Amino acid sequence: MTKQIQDAYIVAAVRTPVGKAPRGMFKTVRPDDMLAHVLKAALAQCEGLDHAAIDDVIAGCAMPEAEQGMNVARIALLLAGLPDSVPGMTVNRFCASGLQSVALAADRIRLGNADVIIAAGTESMSMVPMTGNKMSLDPAIFLRDEHVAIAYGMGITGEKVAQRWQVSREAQDEFAVTSHARALKAIETGEFEQEIAPYTVLEKRPDLVSHEVRDISSTRDTDEGPRPGTNAATLATLKPVFAANGSVTAGNSSQMSDGAGAVIVASEAALKRFNLTPIGRFLGYSVAGVPPEIMGIGPIKAIPKVLKQVGLKLDDLDWIELNEAFAAQSLAVIHDLGLNRAKVNPLGGAIALGHPLGATGAIRVATLLHGLRRHHRKYGMVTMCVGTGMGAAGVFEAL
Amino acid sequence: MNNRKFMVRKAAVLGAGVMGAQIAAHLVNANVETLLFELPAEQGGPNANVIKAIENLKKQDPAPLSMAAKAASIQPANYDQNLELLGDCDIVIEAIAERMDWKSELYKKVAPHLGEDTIFASNTSGLSINELAKSFPENLRHRFCGIHFFNPPRYMHLAELIPCKESDAAMLNDLEAFLVTCLGKGVIRAKDTPNFIANRIGVFSILATMHHADEFGLGFDVVDALTGTLIGRPKSATFRTADVVGLDVLAHVIATMRDTLPQDPWHRYYAVPDWLQALVDKGALGQKARRGIYQKMGKEIHVLDLAKGAYILSAGTAEDDIKELLKRKNLASQLGALRANSHPQAQFLWSIFRDLFHYCAVHLGAIADNARDLDFSMRWGFGWNQGPLEIWQAAGWSEIAGWINEDIAAGKSMSAVSLPEWVRELGQSASQAIDISIQGVHRTQGSFAPSNNTFRPRSTLPVYRRQLFPDRLLSERAQYGTTIFESDAVRMWHTGESGGNGSADDHIAILSFKSKMHTIGSDVLDGVQQAIDEAERNWRALVIWQTEPPFSAGANLQKATARLKGDEPPSAFSVLAKKIRKTAQSAVLKAARGLNLADALMAGKLAEIEAMVAQFQQTSQDLRYSMIPTVAAVDGLALGGGCEFIMHCDRAVATMESYIGLVEAGVGLLPAGGGCKELALRASRDAKDGDPFPLLKNYFQNVATAQLSKSAEQAKELGYLRAADPVVMNRHELLYVAKAQAIALAEAGYRPPLKARNISVAGSTGIANIKGMLVNMREGNFISDHDYLIGTRIAHVMCGGELTPGSVVDEDWFLELERAAFIELLATEKTQARVEHTLKTGKPLRN
Repeated sequence: MTKQIQDAYIVAAVRTPVGKAPRGMFKTVRPDDMLAHVLKAALAQCEGLDHAAIDDVIAGCAMPEAEQGMNVARIALLLAGLPDSVPGMTVNRFCASGLQSVALAADRIRLGNADVIIAAGTESMSMVPMTGNKMSLDPAIFLRDEHVAIAYGMGITGEKVAQRWQVSREAQDEFAVTSHARALKAIETGEFEQEIAPYTVLEKRPDLVSHEVRDISSTRDTDEGPRPGTNAATLATLKPVFAANGSVTAGNSSQMSDGAGAVIVASEAALKRFNLTPIGRFLGYSVAGVPPEIMGIGPIKAIPKVLKQVGLKLDDLDWIELNEAFAAQSLAVIHDLGLNRAKVNPLGGAIALGHPLGATGAIRVATLLHGLRRHHRKYGMVTMCVGTGMGAAGVFEAL
Repeated sequence: MNNRKFMVRKAAVLGAGVMGAQIAAHLVNANVETLLFELPAEQGGPNANVIKAIENLKKQDPAPLSMAAKAASIQPANYDQNLELLGDCDIVIEAIAERMDWKSELYKKVAPHLGEDTIFASNTSGLSINELAKSFPENLRHRFCGIHFFNPPRYMHLAELIPCKESDAAMLNDLEAFLVTCLGKGVIRAKDTPNFIANRIGVFSILATMHHADEFGLGFDVVDALTGTLIGRPKSATFRTADVVGLDVLAHVIATMRDTLPQDPWHRYYAVPDWLQALVDKGALGQKARRGIYQKMGKEIHVLDLAKGAYILSAGTAEDDIKELLKRKNLASQLGALRANSHPQAQFLWSIFRDLFHYCAVHLGAIADNARDLDFSMRWGFGWNQGPLEIWQAAGWSEIAGWINEDIAAGKSMSAVSLPEWVRELGQSASQAIDISIQGVHRTQGSFAPSNNTFRPRSTLPVYRRQLFPDRLLSERAQYGTTIFESDAVRMWHTGESGGNGSADDHIAILSFKSKMHTIGSDVLDGVQQAIDEAERNWRALVIWQTEPPFSAGANLQKATARLKGDEPPSAFSVLAKKIRKTAQSAVLKAARGLNLADALMAGKLAEIEAMVAQFQQTSQDLRYSMIPTVAAVDGLALGGGCEFIMHCDRAVATMESYIGLVEAGVGLLPAGGGCKELALRASRDAKDGDPFPLLKNYFQNVATAQLSKSAEQAKELGYLRAADPVVMNRHELLYVAKAQAIALAEAGYRPPLKARNISVAGSTGIANIKGMLVNMREGNFISDHDYLIGTRIAHVMCGGELTPGSVVDEDWFLELERAAFIELLATEKTQARVEHTLKTGKPLRN
């Protein structure tokens, strides 16, 4: 390990269960409320922490508008009961937003400019659709052929990767089956219990007969995405959605989801001052750009870059949380980098567990650190491809 | 109830089976608040069954609902908890299973809860109404009767109304008016005899067809080839219709006739053939079981071969000379030639007609009031172009009667019973002292009623005053008012004194197109402009109404030099279930036919075409800005240019079964008669927060994918009709309502709207956003490069071109863009190939 100016420690990592969008269990839950919820849940794990000592709250969000607009980080932290003195900012690097927040928080601490920062992510794809409420493309995109791919939807980029990397439909479906199987097993064995902060959904619905307002409340503690009985035969019946005669289907793509996650990052000084127990150490983070039309291969560039940065080899990693935007791009990344499939998403990935865009990074940091600790492993990574052609990767050490 | 105005505020349907649920659907189509009752469910809450039935309505094809969203207006209910709700219902329609004991039990349960004036009607296809009435409390029986809807009730015009002995006459009249105006049905009063009129005749016709098919050794597919469109019946003919209806249902109605008509001279034929029983027994019930008389094997149609006892590839056709023979316009010569021809197919056809005529004559007096009721029952209930008696009459009453008598004597007919005496009398014109020129059952003063030996005029109920031009019998000539002017392409007229019930002095002018499918060529455009001119000078308003559907199949860009010959009047059965499904595809074909481009293109007449497009646009604008109100009366298809006319009239009145769309993209073009302009204008006018794009995006998708509405209601959703445009349930009332709208607009002191001068455009950003959608479809191979080009051109026009968003333009700006883009696309080889291909094959081309 290279010597750092100062280390950044993770002292809490929590998340909501992930709901299906747009018609799932959190379809009526606001993303700012989900964010406030995970902020409170993370703070609850740090009893000694003086809330006034929190230097900043950084929240990732991929479509920061409407219900999750207006600097959702600041709004949620106030709603979570943090003092006015705690500032907040929202960051957007699409699907890496949540991980980017953790990296930003850690870097501020590693530089000595801050001692405690909460990094988080939130996304309601039920309320704010994938391209936002008002997509507006720059006409300049269509003036030059090489820019047209900026307008590509993610699905088309998945198809392009499947074609160029020759990932078959069968391989994609098989990958999806594994994702569901691993996720279901993880749920059954309680792998996610430590990281999930159960969320109570409260709805007020009209009773049109009695004209009363009915409170309907239900507490959710389990991810909604994994589907029992998913097998190659059922997946094979699904039609490609993004290309005629294509191979990318709803079954081998990540699910649209609602969810939030939060991670508290602290300096060594803060650990001592507030008597906090670290669960992990932040080691490094890299981002890299790739052509927009094959955005899914982003990790192929970002992973070697971050490994070099932190001085580790691929084999040193015990656990890789590779966001399954599409089975096609996941398999391309696994193939090109020679990743060990047993180490990639051992508890399932976004195809089963869902992918609430800007929240995923923070959510999977929680999964990684709690998982490494439970299974007595050391080094792990959270990595993902990013829309318009980027990759991001962060490396952590469990303590 | 006699002195009170009758209205239906709320209705209830008892029984959420196929028929009950669909009747409920049609009631909400007509904006009648409706309760749908079913037995309480054992699982999932008491209304689980009925909720499921309502959900199913959204999935069925053809759609029972005019819009899926209407399902929410059907209120689920069950007999355990909700009977008191019946008290508020003005009409209750019982549509549970055809079991006398179940119905009887239900009547006892619901009767105490009915409102004071509630009409209670049983929808039954076979049970005796008088027998059912016995289970209904005696003091309520005056409000009891039968209604027999035909399946599917939204699309089938016929509703038989069957009084019981105690049914109150005024109640029946109120109910008839409701069925006609509100539900759009063609009502026939039937006598309380087994299977009433249409099914009695229709099922006999099937039995006779089966009998003679066997006799002459014809396969099912050959019989269908002979008994479909060749003889003016639906394409599904005999056995495919049976598959659609359900072979179990067919067996059931045959059994009803066997059990209830022991004295009938044809009783021995009221039997389910062994092969039919065998199919029913093994569950091959027809379409619903995916196999019956026919079976679909992949893309092939296979038909049951009785000799082989197996399904074989269906290849049976009508003999060419038989087809030739059936093309003869003269029915007398047609039937005579069939009888004289020894070919089994000819003998078969003559035999089924002969026995059908024979049967109708013998039973007319018992089952129907008069001959017209019998003929219309068959048209409206079975989709025949003509009823049996009017065919007989047109073919020559006495001659046919003579042939029937000869065949009876020769033992060829199915029954030896004699024709009734009145058949002979009606052939002796002089003996009637009236209408000596006409022989047969239909005369100018009415149609023959055997019960009192008179000719019954049409019903004089007030509701029929709304039908300015009801369906005509074969013997009745069309009389469409008084001509104002007439060209080869259009006729402008007014209802005047001869126009049925139309008032002579309402000063509303009507314009009807004469072109095939009412396509719009330059001669029609000339005619519309001349009509507007004439209407501005001498009339209060102008209504565009066609004497037959469709409203218009769109623009015809060929310089119309010669009138297209050989028009065939569209079948009265134009809304046959199957057709609906194919409408969208055939719409593209019709759009292509309407264009008739090939010749013009060969001659390189682009400049000429551009001039015509400009004339089209001018005509649309004239409809909008003329000094008189213009009203489009729409029924059936309204494609492309037809849709653009509708959008430019001050008001449209449309029947529920109006299928409206801008379908030009289907043949590689775009709307250029003001359609794109109009959508852009509306998007700007109705924009929320000043941004027209969200609305434009929807409009673009409708145009780019050539969306066609599946009902008038849906056309409102698509933006082709406006919220204030009335929807008419009965197409026979269309002109009446359109004239009323025209009068109302004129009476309101009509002034045309001010010209739109401040249309805010979506501009370059709008185009970019649409391109964003299109590139993804192109990269995904969902659309071709040429589709992409068409899409971008539509986007270009609808967004006002590459302007800074928010720029303000006038209508002419858009019209110029429309013309330029239309000509640009038309000049491409690929669009030309599309048009030609569609004309040749009837299918869209992807290139």
